[in-house]
Amino acid sequence: MPYLGGEDTVRELRRALSNPNVQSDQLRYRNTILKVIRAMSQGVDVSGLFSDMVKACATVDIVQKKLVYVFLCSYAALNPELSLLVINTLRKDCQDPNPMVRSLALRNMTNLRLPSLMEYVEQPLTAGLRDRAACVRRVAVLGWAKLHNLQPNSEIDAAVVNELYSLLRDPDPVVMVNCLRALEEILKEEGGIAINKPITHHLLNRLKESDVWGQCEVLRILQRYRPQSEDELFDILSLLDASLVSPHPQVMAATLSLFLSLCSGLPAVSLAALERVRGPLLAACGSVSRELRFTALCHIQVSLLLRSLPGLMGAHYKRFFCGYAEPAYIKQRKMQVLVELVNDDNVTMLLDELKGYCTDVNTDTAQAAISAIGRIGRSYSDRCLEILTGLLALKQEHITSAVVQTMRDLVWVCPQCSDTVCLALEGCEETLQDSQGRQALLWLLGVYGEQVSSAPYTLEVFIDGVRSEVSLGVKMELLTTTMRLFLCRPAETQDMLGRLLHYCIEEEPDMCVRDQALLYYRLLHCGIEETQKVLQGRRSDPSLGVLIGRPSEPISQWACSFNTLEPLRQGTVETDSTSRGSPEHVTFEPKPNTDLSDTLNCSQVEKVPSGETGRTPFLARIHTDTHKPLFLASLPFSYPFNKCLCFYMPI
Amino acid sequence: MIGGLFIYNHKGEVLISRVYRDDIGRNAVDAFRVNVIHARQQVRSPVTNIARTSFFHVKRSNIWLAAVTKQNVNATMVFEFLYKMCDVMSAYFGKISEENVKNNFVLIYELLDEILDFGYPQNSETGALKTFITQQGIKSQTKEEQSQITSQVTGQIGWRREGIKYRRNELFLDVLESVNLLMSPQGQVLSAHVSGRVVMKSYLSGMPECKFGMNDKIVIDKQGKGGSSEDGGKSGKQSIAIDDCTFHQCVRLSKFDSERSISFIPPDGDYELMRYRTTKDIILPFRVIPLVREVGRTKLEVKVVIKSNFKSSLLAQKIEVRIPTPLNTSGVQLICMKGKAKYKASENAIVWKIKRMAGMKESQISAEIELLPTNDKKKWARPPISMNFEVPFAPSGLKVRYLKVFEPKLNYSDHDVIKWVRYIGRSGIYETRC
Repeated sequence: MPYLGGEDTVRELRRALSNPNVQSDQLRYRNTILKVIRAMSQGVDVSGLFSDMVKACATVDIVQKKLVYVFLCSYAALNPELSLLVINTLRKDCQDPNPMVRSLALRNMTNLRLPSLMEYVEQPLTAGLRDRAACVRRVAVLGWAKLHNLQPNSEIDAAVVNELYSLLRDPDPVVMVNCLRALEEILKEEGGIAINKPITHHLLNRLKESDVWGQCEVLRILQRYRPQSEDELFDILSLLDASLVSPHPQVMAATLSLFLSLCSGLPAVSLAALERVRGPLLAACGSVSRELRFTALCHIQVSLLLRSLPGLMGAHYKRFFCGYAEPAYIKQRKMQVLVELVNDDNVTMLLDELKGYCTDVNTDTAQAAISAIGRIGRSYSDRCLEILTGLLALKQEHITSAVVQTMRDLVWVCPQCSDTVCLALEGCEETLQDSQGRQALLWLLGVYGEQVSSAPYTLEVFIDGVRSEVSLGVKMELLTTTMRLFLCRPAETQDMLGRLLHYCIEEEPDMCVRDQALLYYRLLHCGIEETQKVLQGRRSDPSLGVLIGRPSEPISQWACSFNTLEPLRQGTVETDSTSRGSPEHVTFEPKPNTDLSDTLNCSQVEKVPSGETGRTPFLARIHTDTHKPLFLASLPFSYPFNKCLCFYMPI
Repeated sequence: MIGGLFIYNHKGEVLISRVYRDDIGRNAVDAFRVNVIHARQQVRSPVTNIARTSFFHVKRSNIWLAAVTKQNVNATMVFEFLYKMCDVMSAYFGKISEENVKNNFVLIYELLDEILDFGYPQNSETGALKTFITQQGIKSQTKEEQSQITSQVTGQIGWRREGIKYRRNELFLDVLESVNLLMSPQGQVLSAHVSGRVVMKSYLSGMPECKFGMNDKIVIDKQGKGGSSEDGGKSGKQSIAIDDCTFHQCVRLSKFDSERSISFIPPDGDYELMRYRTTKDIILPFRVIPLVREVGRTKLEVKVVIKSNFKSSLLAQKIEVRIPTPLNTSGVQLICMKGKAKYKASENAIVWKIKRMAGMKESQISAEIELLPTNDKKKWARPPISMNFEVPFAPSGLKVRYLKVFEPKLNYSDHDVIKWVRYIGRSGIYETRC
């Protein structure tokens, strides 16, 4: 059925619905209603048929009833007056001898979402709580939560709340769990359901009866409970021990989360619990479904599990090797886990494996692999540099770019690598195409200008092509680099610097570049010493050595975010090195949110960095390429992931 | 708490949308389509955040299923729920495809209503759901069926109804395994595991109590060496170490935990009794030995030998070896000893198919690949050689030792039940790097 021509369809359907011949034949009537629902789900507006459908509701045929309810629930909000007509039928159904009909009526009554109908709904709901069929009680309990959600300000009768509390002892486990859910919602203002000792013990004893979803719910709510004595705590823990190694990953995760919150004062117990879940966690990482694998990897990596307990997965590093056909997001996560797992014994094997990923078809994965090698390089710099230099020989654009960026980051934390890096840089500029890579190259040339013999020649190529340069970031970096090189090799660079400054001040259309050029120009007027102070103010600390062992972090730091969405959200931050310029600007402020946009709009989201298009005055825009605020005072140096940014002086 | 569930086709058209909670607006449907399905780049993550709303998606063939929530939920649970949802749907109408979803949309709405209420999972067991779902021929109900519902909802056994009768009591056990392997070019196993399932089809009357036994290492060791010596000699391996396993909800977990015995009252018909995973002592049915030689810049010589590594009386089937070729391949000459081999330019691979192959045999293929000279300096990434096959034994070494059936109320005994067992080992991701 086409999207257009809806009116004809509606007219035809109305004719069929009101045809007495159709109405008397159950099958035909049912089929007509089916057509209405099909039209509805295809986006045709069939709200005009509301009154006809209300009539169709009064039937003994359950199939037809269910179909009509689907329709009514979607359109009730548009026709509040007509909906009143349905209520009578629904209330009658609530008295039906068939428990299925009763539960159906009750559920749809609450699904209509009409505040005006509230008064009619309360009575059947109260009756539903005492129904002898469990399926009706399940619906009734959640019905109260829906009612509250519809009118959050209205007080729910204390008697109802009491009744819900008493239904926690219902023989049906789903009713019990639904009560928990309903009370959580109704009493949200008061901090949710009151968890005291008898309730806790009751819930724990019945944990096994409920299905996995119920277990997760119970375990989550129990996190609020604080045992009164150590004996009680250990009783609870030993009761939960079986769920800790549950074959269902969701139960395992929920139990671990509860364990961690219960044992927040006893780190030794938490560590023992972590040891115990190692098996199930690893199994989840190798699970057949990629989404589960991804979730498990996120929890292992981001929740710093490894940093709290580095030995936990050490022997199992092979489990995190990537399969060829795995999606990129899993590969990238696995690499980040591998970086954490590296130690003296497995470093050769790990680097071999990572080297294999560097030539991955997916450029993002390849770049992530290269930056992973760079991270390992902070502890094992020689081996990693050997691999990185080897990769340069492939002369592939995205690989070279990633390698140069990685080297830049590596040199900043391990200055002793600079000799090797400088040797490797020769000739890279031919393969580099993207702005990030060229920016990194320029930065390296600027800082290690005296060690790279060909630096001025490379720069000359850049300066000659500055007219056709589109990237703002590259132009700004070029300016700074030329200035720096001028300070250490004035004879070779003076002429170029002059040409560059002249171009930037006279012809450059972009305000930001022009202002920076002007700044440098004036700075040069102040004398060489001032210039030196500004441009070479910040260098990385030459005494930095290789990292040996990381400090282990306490569990409490991540326990509260375990088994929530938090670990999955943080994911992309660390891999994302694309938005930064040079290491001095690295602020390591995590991106505030990785949301694609702030509103649920339907237009394609275009991420245009403000620096590329907008026209804002200079002072507000220095280094807009890195999206960092401007600090006019030069801040003291601090190692290594400093929070301070630029190195400018007032003009 | 799931706020809503949406099902899209590959074009991003909404097939099913069901909103459970008011905090999910209509525009959420479009937001997911625009930002994920129509996004230019590949999927970055199965969880997407758009305006503080989280979208969890899974893909089945070309259908997208997305669960939406505004709360900070447990991601594992949402994904498990989506899988369960897929299982339930395929139990009703088979494969989840656009065609099937469109044809069964009323049924799906009905299912969505029963499985979730106000965003909370309620009842997700296919067997128990069947009594609540009216679609597919269940007409208005008789008195008898009504009383069944009540007993079903209140009773302890949600997955089986009372009063089932069969003339022949029969049961079928399928041990289905998939072997996954990643091997280095030198023949070193980088990772290998078997994930297996025991699927049971039961046609048994009444409420039978079943006990399932297999060569689980822990059980065998407990029983001592006497019990396993008869059958142990032939298979070479007596027991297997299971890394982890999950059971259908009918299995009494407390009994499994305490005595490691698997006892249960089975659901009627088709269901999955258990799922397990092993990583130790896996019988790798095939060994792939690749040899790649680059002759100059325009020619590659590839030789691949496969060796079957199981009893010579057994036959492997549907063997397919896929040898990737570089993108600039211009022509391929193939010689193979057995089966048929073909170069498929569209897939950039040589596909070598062998219908049947006995154990302890070996076969080889040699290929000369001619390359177009390119100025592209990109090095060929050399994807791994992958393999597909089916073998009539369980690569993990799992053996079913017994399945006993007790039905005290009806007059049939364990001997009257006809039992069948079958082992199928398939390849999962079976790759050898070259």
